[in-house]
Amino acid sequence: MYLRAGSIKIIALLFLAGMFLTGDALAQDRVVDASCFHCHTRQVTQFEKSVHFNNNISCTDCHGGDIRINGSVVSIDVMSKDFAGSPSRVNLTTFCSKCHEQVTRKYEKSIHWKKVQEGRPQAASCIDCHGTHNILSSKNQASPTHLENIPLMCGGCHENQTKMQAWYYGIKTDRFDTYKKSYHYKSYLGGGKVLATCSDCHENHDTKPEADPESAINPANLPTTCGKTNCHPGANNVYVYGGKIHEEQSVNLFFIDVKTLVTYFYIIMILFELAFTFGLIFLGITSGLDIKGRKNHD
Amino acid sequence: MTELKFRRFTLNQRIQHIIFFTTFILLAYTGFPLKFPDELWAKWMIASVGGFDNRTLIHHFSGLLMIGVSVYHVVFHLIEKPRFDVLFNLQDISDFKQQMRYYLRLTDQHPKFGRYTWKQKFEYFGAGFGAVVMGFTGLLMWKPFEAMQYFPIGVVQIANLFHTWEAVLASLAVFIGHFYDEHFGKFPNISWITGNISAQEMRHEHTLEYEAAMKDQEPEEVTETSHGNNTGPVTMLAKLVFTVIFLAITVWMLWISYNVLVDAVTTYIF
Ligand code: HEC
Ligand code: HEC
Ligand code: HEC
Ligand code: HEC
Ligand code: HEC
Ligand code: HEC
Repeated sequence: MYLRAGSIKIIALLFLAGMFLTGDALAQDRVVDASCFHCHTRQVTQFEKSVHFNNNISCTDCHGGDIRINGSVVSIDVMSKDFAGSPSRVNLTTFCSKCHEQVTRKYEKSIHWKKVQEGRPQAASCIDCHGTHNILSSKNQASPTHLENIPLMCGGCHENQTKMQAWYYGIKTDRFDTYKKSYHYKSYLGGGKVLATCSDCHENHDTKPEADPESAINPANLPTTCGKTNCHPGANNVYVYGGKIHEEQSVNLFFIDVKTLVTYFYIIMILFELAFTFGLIFLGITSGLDIKGRKNHD
Repeated sequence: MTELKFRRFTLNQRIQHIIFFTTFILLAYTGFPLKFPDELWAKWMIASVGGFDNRTLIHHFSGLLMIGVSVYHVVFHLIEKPRFDVLFNLQDISDFKQQMRYYLRLTDQHPKFGRYTWKQKFEYFGAGFGAVVMGFTGLLMWKPFEAMQYFPIGVVQIANLFHTWEAVLASLAVFIGHFYDEHFGKFPNISWITGNISAQEMRHEHTLEYEAAMKDQEPEEVTETSHGNNTGPVTMLAKLVFTVIFLAITVWMLWISYNVLVDAVTTYIF
């Protein structure tokens, strides 16, 4: 009896495994969204490489409408039923919140979302950071939200003068430049790894301005932000004050800009050093040339 | 007749010098690439020490060693045998003036130097100032959050600024000034190994010291060897190699100075 029960289980398991295997094979053969393909080739080919496609999601999961798997009849009717076309900036999150509920709630606390709602479409929405139909897992090196690509992705807006200044006032556009000079990124440029990227300090989704007391970059929260595990374990009891993280911003001491002062000092020192060294070398050589003709040479 | 030699550096000093310059070269080698991580040579240099983490390790370790040898130097020379002729004095000013006049052919009289020339004093105290600046700022940058328990973060950033500038300044002084004066001009100068300099060099470079030392001696038969022993094929080859390295380093240093200057001017001044 015992033996029979065991073998039944094994057979059942094998059967299940077989189902999975064939299911996988079917998924790969899937003629995806054939009904949309004829007319939206570009979107479909992009989509076929995305993480969503790999998770068996189809056009209709986002856009609604009627998917016909055989796709032999080319008909605009497929864009019917609950079909939703291109979402507007303001209701874009409703596309994603169906499945990414938590992330969307977080994003909706951010300055980016706030500004989108206020009618400033330049602020980042899901698709600006992740892409639209070509969304990849962040672990994929080609993804714009891959650790090493995040600075370029954020910098695409925050380093872009026209994008940032056309509509907004006072927003700094040196964020990538300044970040690039910090050790966090230099280690990567020098062949090591990225030590901290924009979103490590600014959060992936609930990015907030410095002045917001809930912001990760609010001075009061910097100890927690810098003290994240694997970052600066000793930072939790340190009050970070008297300077900016994105360097190059001046450090003032009694109304004197110390960085500029130091810079002037050393510019003078270095020019002096260069003039001094090369001047003496030059004088030494030229006066040595006719040294034999001189009485009391050394 | 065996040639008279003069003891210039004790064994202790020679070892200090060797540790100091080895750590200096390692620090420059692992430090400047970090300032210009985009450059190909920087990536190559970092790869040549086995990657970024090794670079950091070598930099930190050499830094500590340099701080150690600097502290040792000060303590040792203060306690064991303080010398005062290494300090600047009024004579240096007149020596300097006369040397300039000599260079400009206003006089035929080269100044007579004692044990330390005004230029050597400059280099010595320059190195001392550099070691102090680099040591302190380096420690602050190594442990920023420990530093921030006592200072605002602005201090750490200013330390960073000082660290770069002083590195450029010190490397210019050493790789161009010091190399040219002591190693290129007097090639092959091996007094840093043997500790001795020849009577001829003593007469030329440190006339006053020479005269003081020889006061009680029989006046020596002065034989001007006119650097005759410097022309063997091996020496010439070595000098050629040294010249090429020296020129390469000079070009590299000028590139670095130029870029640091431009970067600073565009960042902090305009
Ligand atoms: C017969 C061709 C055809 C088929 C099949 C088709 N579409 Fe379209 N689709 C169109 C045309 C034409 C437009 C209008 C384009 C325009 O306005 O620029 C359009 C527009 C859209 C838009 C954008 C609407 C907007 O607001 O700009 C979306 C989204 C869309 N289709 C999704 C789909 C999806 C999903 C499928 C498959 C279920 C599908 N379409 C199948 C022809 C087709
Ligand atoms: C993850 C949700 C999602 C899926 C799945 C999806 N789309 Fe979209 N689609 C969007 C979003 C969001 C936009 C709006 C893009 C914008 O505003 O720039 C959009 C826009 C479009 C547009 C308008 C033109 C454009 O590219 O901006 C077309 C056409 C379209 N989708 C077709 C498709 C087709 C065909 C599929 C299936 C292969 C598909 N979509 C799958 C989210 C999705
Ligand atoms: C029908 C449900 C569904 C919708 C709608 C949807 N997604 Fe997804 N998404 C998924 C699934 C399932 C995964 C795979 C999850 C995983 O691998 O953990 C995924 C993965 C992702 C990932 C990669 C996560 C990672 O591991 O890095 C991103 C980014 C993403 N989605 C963004 C979006 C965006 C932006 C939208 C709206 C335009 C959207 N998704 C709409 C179901 C959905
Ligand atoms: C699509 C362009 C875009 C992208 C991509 C983008 N941002 Fe933004 N971001 C904006 C705009 C526009 C604002 C301005 C909102 C406002 O008016 O204050 C903003 C505001 C901010 C602010 C608040 C600045 C302030 O002064 O109020 C921070 C912090 C920020 N972004 C960080 C990031 C980070 C980190 C990333 C990458 C993970 C990123 N952003 C990606 C466009 C973008
Ligand atoms: C300012 C840029 C930005 C915006 C806007 C943004 N994301 Fe992200 N998202 C990121 C970054 C950066 C990551 C983290 C990548 C990593 O390090 O793993 C991420 C990760 C994710 C992930 C996978 C990891 C997780 O936290 O579960 C999902 C899913 C996701 N985002 C969905 C969305 C959705 C949905 C929206 C819109 C509601 C959105 N994102 C808006 C930048 C953004
Ligand atoms: C080490 C943490 C850290 C990293 C990495 C970082 N930032 Fe910041 N960022 C901050 C802090 C802290 C502030 C607050 C102002 C300051 O100290 O400079 C800030 C300020 C900002 C602001 C202005 C916010 C405001 O309210 O004025 C923007 C925009 C911004 N960062 C974007 C970026 C972008 C884009 C990147 C990546 C290229 C990035 N940051 C990388 C910590 C970081």
